[in-house]
Amino acid sequence: MSRWIGPLIVAVLAALAAWYTTLAAAPMVIMDRAWEQLAAQSGFNRMAHGPLVTAESQFVVRPSPDLAYSVCAFDLTQGPLRVHAHPVPGHYWSLTVFDSETNVAFVESDRDSKGAPVEVILATADQTVPAGVRKVTMPGAKGVALLRVLLNDRAEFDAVTKDRKRSYCRPLRQP
Amino acid sequence: MHFGVRYGLLLVAGLALGTGAAVVQLRQSFAALGIENGPWRTAAKVGTKDASVATRATVALRGLLALPEREAIYFNASSDSQGRKLTGKCSYLVSGGALDARWWSLTLYDAKGYLIPNRASVYSLGSAALAPEEASNWQVDIARTRRGTHWIAMPDDQPFELTLRAYHPSPKLLAARGSVTLPRIERRECRT
Repeated sequence: MSRWIGPLIVAVLAALAAWYTTLAAAPMVIMDRAWEQLAAQSGFNRMAHGPLVTAESQFVVRPSPDLAYSVCAFDLTQGPLRVHAHPVPGHYWSLTVFDSETNVAFVESDRDSKGAPVEVILATADQTVPAGVRKVTMPGAKGVALLRVLLNDRAEFDAVTKDRKRSYCRPLRQP
Repeated sequence: MHFGVRYGLLLVAGLALGTGAAVVQLRQSFAALGIENGPWRTAAKVGTKDASVATRATVALRGLLALPEREAIYFNASSDSQGRKLTGKCSYLVSGGALDARWWSLTLYDAKGYLIPNRASVYSLGSAALAPEEASNWQVDIARTRRGTHWIAMPDDQPFELTLRAYHPSPKLLAARGSVTLPRIERRECRT
């Protein structure tokens, strides 16, 4: 029996390490898969204004049917990206930028901007941006910017979409 | 058995066990979110590196792209107020009062976190849909067909989950998220 004590200790330590590693890696793996799906559906470095959320139209797990979503999967490899959130008067709206590990790099809502547009430049640490802009330094090239707009009533989706279609993301320096 | 084989076998077994345990933990419940309040589970520091690895993994799998808590907090339930698993075989009455937040919504999902197709396309109830006199005392039925004033459709027999979102929560709600009074989930009749 004593011959198994050492291997058993190794098994317990391996199990703990594997458990922790799996949990720690999950956000990056899941986000990477989601990014690929979003980019395949709508391209990247552009804002896609999603349809009304229904059971037949769910772009991500656990979407809220009370929100209209616009999503921009981005890749900063070729340079910084401008993200502009246009206000939707009388509604809650927010812009959130997630890095490739699901951490929130930036978030602001209509409460923060007091109804004014929100505009940021996403760039990696080694990329320069013009003076005076709001730079959000991303830890890596890939991520997702997400615009949420509350629908007080799902029937107002089309009216809200007129405003949210004025939101965009695009390369800072167009080729 | 050879010395090296014993170590090799148990190393592989340990790795498989640890990985499997993590996958089961993530798939089976919201417990990894860490904060319990009746049937509801929520987390702290969502969207930040300061959240625990279990919270971060659970949010990624079951609520990807969730907002940080200054914008919204999420309460999730997979059981009723008596601890019984939520199932489409039964109908439920969810009742609650005002939440100290700018607005809230209650949404029904399947066990993987997706909206369930239903003929009426009714998936949720939001505070914006309540009459002023209901704000502090509201009820919503979860059933196959519409009953009372407010209804969320549960069209089949599968297990389901509820997510309560509170947007722009007050500092008081954030501080008391584990103890504040949240909606009750009461099971009513069940089909056999």
